[in-house]
Amino acid sequence: MIELRYVLGGPQGGGLETTSEILSWAFSKSGYGVISDREYFSNIKGRHSYVHATVSATELPKHLSYPVDIVAAMDAETVFTHFNDLRDGGYLIYNSDDDSVNYAGIPSMEKDLRDRLGAQFKGLGLDGTVRSVVKYLQNSRKARVVALSFKELLMEIQKREGIVPSQASRYISTILVGAVAAITDINEESLDYSLRRRFTREDVYRHNKSMAQIVMGLVKGQFGSELKLEQPRISAREFLVASGNDAIAMAKIVAGVRFQAYYPITPAADESFTLEEYETLSGEGSLVVFQTEDELAAINAAIGAALTGVRSSVATSGPGFDLMVEGLGWAGQNEVPIVVTYYQRGGPSTGQPTRGGQSDLLSSVFASHGEYPRIVLASGDHEEAFYDAIDAFNYAEVFQVPVIHLVDKFLANTIATIPMPDLNNVRITRGTLAPKGLKVYKRFDLSSVISPRAFLGDYVMWYSGDEHDEYGHINEDPVNRINMFDKRMRKLDIMEKEIPEERRFSYFGPERPDILLIGWGFVKGVAVKAIDELNSEGMRVGYYHIRAFIPFPRESLTKLTKEVEANNLVAVEHNYMAQASRLVTMNTGIMINRSIVKYTGRPIYVHELVNAIKNMLKGSTREVISYGA
Amino acid sequence: MERKMKLTINDYKTDVWVDWCPGCGNFGILSAMYQALADLQLEPEKTVVVSGIGCSGKTPHFVNVTGVHTLHGRALPYAEGIKLANPGLTVVVNVGDGDLLGIGAAHFVALGRRNVDLVVIMHDNTVYGLTKGQASPTLTRNLQPKALPKPNIQDAVNPIGLAIASGYTFIARGYAARVQHLKELIKKAILHKGAAFIDVLQPCVTYDNIHTYDYYNKRVYDLQEEGWDPVAKSPEELPQKAAQALVKSYESDDRVPIGIFLVNPNVPTFEERYSQRLPNYLKIPPAREPIEVGGKPVISIEKFKDLFKKYVIELR
Repeated sequence: MIELRYVLGGPQGGGLETTSEILSWAFSKSGYGVISDREYFSNIKGRHSYVHATVSATELPKHLSYPVDIVAAMDAETVFTHFNDLRDGGYLIYNSDDDSVNYAGIPSMEKDLRDRLGAQFKGLGLDGTVRSVVKYLQNSRKARVVALSFKELLMEIQKREGIVPSQASRYISTILVGAVAAITDINEESLDYSLRRRFTREDVYRHNKSMAQIVMGLVKGQFGSELKLEQPRISAREFLVASGNDAIAMAKIVAGVRFQAYYPITPAADESFTLEEYETLSGEGSLVVFQTEDELAAINAAIGAALTGVRSSVATSGPGFDLMVEGLGWAGQNEVPIVVTYYQRGGPSTGQPTRGGQSDLLSSVFASHGEYPRIVLASGDHEEAFYDAIDAFNYAEVFQVPVIHLVDKFLANTIATIPMPDLNNVRITRGTLAPKGLKVYKRFDLSSVISPRAFLGDYVMWYSGDEHDEYGHINEDPVNRINMFDKRMRKLDIMEKEIPEERRFSYFGPERPDILLIGWGFVKGVAVKAIDELNSEGMRVGYYHIRAFIPFPRESLTKLTKEVEANNLVAVEHNYMAQASRLVTMNTGIMINRSIVKYTGRPIYVHELVNAIKNMLKGSTREVISYGA
Repeated sequence: MERKMKLTINDYKTDVWVDWCPGCGNFGILSAMYQALADLQLEPEKTVVVSGIGCSGKTPHFVNVTGVHTLHGRALPYAEGIKLANPGLTVVVNVGDGDLLGIGAAHFVALGRRNVDLVVIMHDNTVYGLTKGQASPTLTRNLQPKALPKPNIQDAVNPIGLAIASGYTFIARGYAARVQHLKELIKKAILHKGAAFIDVLQPCVTYDNIHTYDYYNKRVYDLQEEGWDPVAKSPEELPQKAAQALVKSYESDDRVPIGIFLVNPNVPTFEERYSQRLPNYLKIPPAREPIEVGGKPVISIEKFKDLFKKYVIELR
């Protein structure tokens, strides 16, 4: 095998994250690429949560797909929720103590799913117990079933390691680790490395190792290592294994962020937590992470900080961004470099607080009243997000505008293997700064479009949200209004000239594709994989990835779309309206009449994208895809 | 910048025309500000006046120190961002009662909890002047200043009481017509280490025909002249002191106290709290830290790997 896919499921707060981390580290330690998406409810403990991963021997994967090779279940709910996700002949790992549990009696399961399962079970003639589902998988789907009595295993570990019974349930996560490790024949050193990394307390490490070994012994005795991956063919000496939140936090530190204000919101808050962890920059500096009373305070405090010359940012999600919009306008009016890292989730309103989406694009491009220039970047994967976060600060300062960096929940909570960043090519550009010792300083000097910036403390200067003169004083004169307005808006032309077109997009696929997919954000990884699959079947499909919405990659897209039949342009997005396609039209005049959209809050999977594209070839103009629990 | 030996009041004035209504209480506040700045000889570049929106919002344009005229209700977050990024600056906020206690009330409470070292001067005239005299959060229920079509239906907030409850460590009230007294309050507030709040009674001559100069002149009395010692000398003394200050803050109708209600020197400033966690915070504030060397990040790849080792997986 060169690619392994698995789902690990269990109750929120039940140790799933530990299982996922240990496996991700172990596979990457052996040189495999890993991507591991986390899906969860807005709930602290008890609701169904799962991890869906791809492990690859040939690439650093950026896509997820179904069906999977392994479903590993901590609880009965996972068996019911995910048995359909298992490929024929795949492995089900589950707790045989749950055999008689009936789906109808699981309180944490949403009624809609229960109703759908009820209908399916009726059709299949199953009685709705775990046992009946397992039998069905074995008989009709050739599944290999790894039935483990968790109770017996926990008794065993208590006995062996002298653990008190009340603590034993902590080791459930390692039962899954041991079972997956056995079937996939994970390198034992790598597994040991992960366990050590995860459990820093010697006794806890030992107990977990012991549990893993007990399970591995049991499972290996019963099954071979059928799901063993080929030797990895990725040339790397080291990886970063991190979530999107963490990758962006690291990038911000490289970029020199020294002030971040935030108000807690899923899925953005983890970024600020990570920054706070590094607030002393290991003893040399100070990175002030400021938890404010609300998002209004967060953005405005960050703007205030930016006026002092510090690189300053906020991280938020849709509802928080809405509150920040007023401050964003002030920053635009006052030409303040400020970075907003925007983790999109399902809206409107609180929508789906813990699920993903790309429905805030138009909102961020047009946010706030009045007109002012801004930059909007959008990252497609962890690596892009890293470099985009650095560019965001550079652009903010060079052009003296607010920069919105769009990412999403998929990226935020997905752990991936990332190549070690190439810091040699990273530049810090602070833009035009005012010299010291001027007799008179005019913050909004009209002799250039981008006036030299001085920091509070250097000179006396004024800022005002009102239209202002060169000094920053309120001024309602009509001629001044034109001069100041033009000065601000002309930055759009400068940005257009100075930010290279290649920076704003990437293209994957044949030179003159018959079908062109156009997407952005987390669509990138899955689209690239899908066109590979389709092209290997003899089709000619390309993927155009938009990485900046302002300034828009007008030229390359216009050129490329000219070569493709108008009817073969397909928007692929995580929103209802295909929002990016509307911006394409606005910027280029090209209409995109076909779309593949998903707005269930779950990522687009390779298999469903491939199917959707094939359906389009049969004439459909809109595909709404929806796979996933 | 070249600096004269001694800055005078005129050095703190800009040539921007002060467009407040003739007789506005804000003139007294502005005058007290000029005098306080001159008395303290504050460096104009190192001093920042932050404001929100409305008549008080224009204050920075009239003062020849750095001015940041922000959004309605949001002056405090701006001021906190400025001060926390560069604690070397002196930050004085001028805001209206609607600004601070209406739209910005959450920020007012939060600043008290943090005790950031800055000064908040509230221009308290009980109305929203610049939008034609609507009731502000400090207007008493059933009063009907002349612009209101009906008597005020909402109760007034007690600004001093709210400041006490929120944790401000310097709480005072001034009166715009007692400029010398107000000047001294502003100076003490600036010199105080921590969040200082001054509620300034400020007649709106255009829209508030109730709280006139005459109204206040008859009622105002100085707490300190009557022997009130506002200082809580120890943490143990604070509850009692705060309770007594709160009682004084409810005096109104016939007698309106001005002066210092409470000083609590026992709470660390927010900057001191950050310094506990960030040893170099005050020495090299975030705004003054280098972030690049010759255009490259100060974080080299070696430093990166060391800093973020928990994310690095080294292969064999």
